[in-house]
Amino acid sequence: MTDAKPLLEARQVFRGFFGNPVLKGVDIALYPGRVHALLGENGAGKSTLINLLSGALQPDNGEIVIDGQPAGRYSPASARAAGIAVVQQELSLTANLSIAENIGLGAFPRRFGLIDYATLHRGVRDVCAMVGLTEPLDMPVADLSLGRRQTVEIAKALYRKPRVLILDEPTSSLSAHEAGVLADLMVTLRDQGTALLYISHRLNEVQALCSHVTVLKDGKVTGNQSLSGIDGEGLVRLMVGRETGDLFPPRSAAQPTATRIMVEGFSAGAVKEISFSGRAGEIVGIGGLVGQGQEDLLLGLYGAIPAKATKAEISDRQDLPRHVQAANAAGIVYVPADRKHEGLVLPHSIASNIILPSLGRLARHGLRDRSAESGLIADLARQLTIKGDVGRPVQALSGGNQQKVALAKWLPINPSILLLNDPTRGVDIETKREIYLMLRNFATEGRLVIIASSDTPELVHLCDRVVVLREGRVAAELEADAISEEAIVGAAMGVEQAGAAA
Amino acid sequence: MNIVRSIFRNPPLLTLTLVVAVWVIASLTLRGFGNYGHLRYLLELASVIGIAAAGQTLVVLMGGIDLSVGAIITVTAILLPLISPAWDPTGLVGIALALVIATCIGLFNGAGAAFLRVPPIIMTLAMATFLQGLLVIVAGGSAVTVSNPAVILLGQSRPFGIPAGILLWAVVSIFVLVLIHRMPIGARFLAIGANPLAARLSGVSLTRNTLLLYSLSGLFAGIAGVLVLGMNRQGYVGIGDPYLLTSIAAVVLGGTSILGGRGTYAGTIPGAILLVTTTALITVVNASPGWRSIMFGGLILSLLLISGRETRR
Repeated sequence: MTDAKPLLEARQVFRGFFGNPVLKGVDIALYPGRVHALLGENGAGKSTLINLLSGALQPDNGEIVIDGQPAGRYSPASARAAGIAVVQQELSLTANLSIAENIGLGAFPRRFGLIDYATLHRGVRDVCAMVGLTEPLDMPVADLSLGRRQTVEIAKALYRKPRVLILDEPTSSLSAHEAGVLADLMVTLRDQGTALLYISHRLNEVQALCSHVTVLKDGKVTGNQSLSGIDGEGLVRLMVGRETGDLFPPRSAAQPTATRIMVEGFSAGAVKEISFSGRAGEIVGIGGLVGQGQEDLLLGLYGAIPAKATKAEISDRQDLPRHVQAANAAGIVYVPADRKHEGLVLPHSIASNIILPSLGRLARHGLRDRSAESGLIADLARQLTIKGDVGRPVQALSGGNQQKVALAKWLPINPSILLLNDPTRGVDIETKREIYLMLRNFATEGRLVIIASSDTPELVHLCDRVVVLREGRVAAELEADAISEEAIVGAAMGVEQAGAAA
Repeated sequence: MNIVRSIFRNPPLLTLTLVVAVWVIASLTLRGFGNYGHLRYLLELASVIGIAAAGQTLVVLMGGIDLSVGAIITVTAILLPLISPAWDPTGLVGIALALVIATCIGLFNGAGAAFLRVPPIIMTLAMATFLQGLLVIVAGGSAVTVSNPAVILLGQSRPFGIPAGILLWAVVSIFVLVLIHRMPIGARFLAIGANPLAARLSGVSLTRNTLLLYSLSGLFAGIAGVLVLGMNRQGYVGIGDPYLLTSIAAVVLGGTSILGGRGTYAGTIPGAILLVTTTALITVVNASPGWRSIMFGGLILSLLLISGRETRR
């Protein structure tokens, strides 16, 4: 295996953006029949390296080598011709086209200049079977959940029968079951001699699937070695360059006090007539497979989608907030999962994003008070360790820093209830720790924190209480010692668990 | 070199530089162009476009477009003489009534966009068509002559030698610039323009701001209508038509992103002047109306290409 020649290599590649170096002389070699892990915190340069390998970007210096030959003028088209396929972290599907059309897009079989749908469906059916896609092939992608779309994305890459397959955080939106299918698939491909590059923030997946690892830190390779004999701690040490200690803050001894949220017969979107409550001082986790109503529960409580309840008490009010402004006025804030589309105004500066909810409050005589605003912004940036110039557009920030901005903007209104949807998705470990600590402090200060998460360890170690949703209903409510990965996953999958009070 | 680059990076400054360059070159080469009287006349013409484009700038910043600007100008210019009450010697009541009507038309546009979820481009186009039909019925195709003293004063008087229209434009400019850059609502418009979903989840009310936005656009179109009427002394069906495309062109020339979320009225001001200047130059070289339109289109396209402003999104 190791004496084979690498299919795809980057040799001493450099790449910068606007004079800001991102990759500083990186080497990586992908061999056939090996699953290679690429690790690194956000902003370490992983995405840039993938873009170089797939021809989407050109290196400033250094070269891309395919089958031992320098690639020369390398473009996405020549990468495809060389059998290199990428499953993007950002979904690149066309919502209105069908599953089959999306998978075949750009490589349609033709007959008399028209798309040959019969041949297309035959080819597509094969790859769909491989990835476990059972939906009808002519179904529009718009009707699929996020996890299923990711699966289509994987099928699309496979349709081209790649020799090199690059997977950029493919499991971040997949359910446990879908992730399992993907893992089996990767093993099959590996045994068939495909070279795989796997990027993930989930270390247990990396350990289970990969045999070799390249670690990036600040645009340099800090580790390039076999994975055998390295445990999770060791991997984290390679990534952050020091001992990590515990990721999760200890639970506080203080008992939760007054009830802040109490709803009965609550329905919103996919959520059907559930009862839910939360008290000041606790962190309540909402778990379940992807798309079981977790997001709709938060949005309904936030007044962002229509919701109804037979009985509702939300911080001294006797009804649900009817719109977002009413929720904000009642001290409820929401941090969405999709930072780029829902959480932040990307082209605008850090400062304008942070100040957006506080604009009206800080204005005097109808005019904005610039000095009060910049004071507040500087304060929040310091408090949340958002580094650098606050005049930069947020799209220039790493995922972790973007998430801090999305959180920071709510602090000035002193919220009593925080609703967070997957706040650590695509966030590096160091920032994760900061966010966990911040959330725990919020709870200790007497706020109610409700967090929906697809990351089960997060629910287990961070939350005081976990509500598992399944098909829009409460499948289990776990407390204290009853919270375990097994109990959460079991309830999410519909497996009967002893000791779980439904 | 650095100065040149920073000018190219800053669309309002680029447009302003272009206006100054065109004025200087034309003054040196064309007899009579550089006269104070001629330049003042150009600014006076630009003031109508500039005021109509004030509302358009706000709408485009928030990611919409208002195709009823021309129709609202016409409505104001035709209805004002008809509704000015005879018992009011100043004529201010008539102006106020006309502006209220213009604002209400805008509010209607906003309501359609906010409550019925009709895309602004369709809503305002339908409104324009509707108003045009209504005007043909009301005015019957004949011109209406204005006798309202305040309107005539606005169109004809020159305090300190400066036409009142230019002064009105200056007041509107200051108000709009303050609104965009110094008032919370300006920041909210921009946030909605760049990402409506994120803005809504951040507690910015889409409904309220949409209503306000289109009302403002209607109001500014109404003000432009009053000014046009004063300058022409007559209102007729079609009087506002030239101002629809020029208002959008002035916004785009000024570097405001047609996709919303980025831009400023500071660019629209030189944009409006540039449009009027180009028209004047084309008239001087005796080009036919066909060529005039072709040159307009070419100018807008080339300016967009020079600054490459839409590529970096």
